[in-house]
Amino acid sequence: VSSQQFSALTEVLFRFLTEPKEVERFLTQLSDFATMNKISLGPLKNIVKSILLVPNGALKRNLSPEQVRADFIALGLSEEKASYFAEQWKVNSPTLTRLAVGQTLMINQLIDMEWKFGVTAGSSELEKVGSIFLQLKLVIKKGSQLENVYVELTLPQFYSFLHEMERVKTSLESFS
Amino acid sequence: LGPLAQRACPGLAVSAEEAEQLVSALHNLTRHVVYRGLTRAEDILCLFPENFHQNLKNLLTKIILENVSAWRNEAQASQISLPRLVDMDWRVDIKTSSDSIVRMAVPTCLLQLKIQEDAALCGNNPVVSALTVELSKETLDTMLEGLGRIRDQLSAVANK
Repeated sequence: VSSQQFSALTEVLFRFLTEPKEVERFLTQLSDFATMNKISLGPLKNIVKSILLVPNGALKRNLSPEQVRADFIALGLSEEKASYFAEQWKVNSPTLTRLAVGQTLMINQLIDMEWKFGVTAGSSELEKVGSIFLQLKLVIKKGSQLENVYVELTLPQFYSFLHEMERVKTSLESFS
Repeated sequence: LGPLAQRACPGLAVSAEEAEQLVSALHNLTRHVVYRGLTRAEDILCLFPENFHQNLKNLLTKIILENVSAWRNEAQASQISLPRLVDMDWRVDIKTSSDSIVRMAVPTCLLQLKIQEDAALCGNNPVVSALTVELSKETLDTMLEGLGRIRDQLSAVANK
């Protein structure tokens, strides 16, 4: 494989790594590459599979670009190609790291929040009430499903909640 | 015969029907006062029939006045509503490792909300459930933005 072809292939690989959902696009680009360079798709797929193992392992273990380069050389890749790949790795690793962190397990993740507030005018027990209520709708991801949770808060509860959330923010910021 | 009427019977030396009538009448009177939100003695006194015993009328009015705001608060607390927030707790964790990445330092917040189901449905045994939610820093920032907007809207309404 010439260095030009290698860079083209590397580009395809990294585009897939940074957008792992674009599987179809990746496969199309791979078969285009195969046809253009007169390589058969089967062996190419196998090579790509082995190559992909390197960045995935590197990501898991937070390897530096030099370590990635050394790994590739150990696998038998030429120095030039390994350096090129390591460079690409350096450029893309922030995005890839962010993606990996994003994939980390989250319990009951809060997806969305909607609210409305109003005044209770009257009830079956009390003719005139005039108290303010706040209703929150929280959209929570439980496993793979979304669940809506409805909660009502009084005004003092709301202010207390807001105050606590601001304390959480300060706490999170001090750890970033 | 309700428990109150049963207890009243021997003490008042009345028949079962009369006790029941008495309790029912008292109940209606107090519910009416609470419903209308009557707070002045005059408004309550005029509810009684003309030839009602004067001292008894005054005593009843006095007792009702003493209790009316507690009763109103209780009525409001047991009103039908969406599930209500009764408590909240939070903690901040730092995620250091996962199956997808071996070393990281990502702060995350766990928020626990204690929610009580509609009091009117549960009667005397309220069902409280705990909901634990995880918030990333970005989610928290967005949420705070939303809460800030609620606060601004509330101030705008209060100042009208």
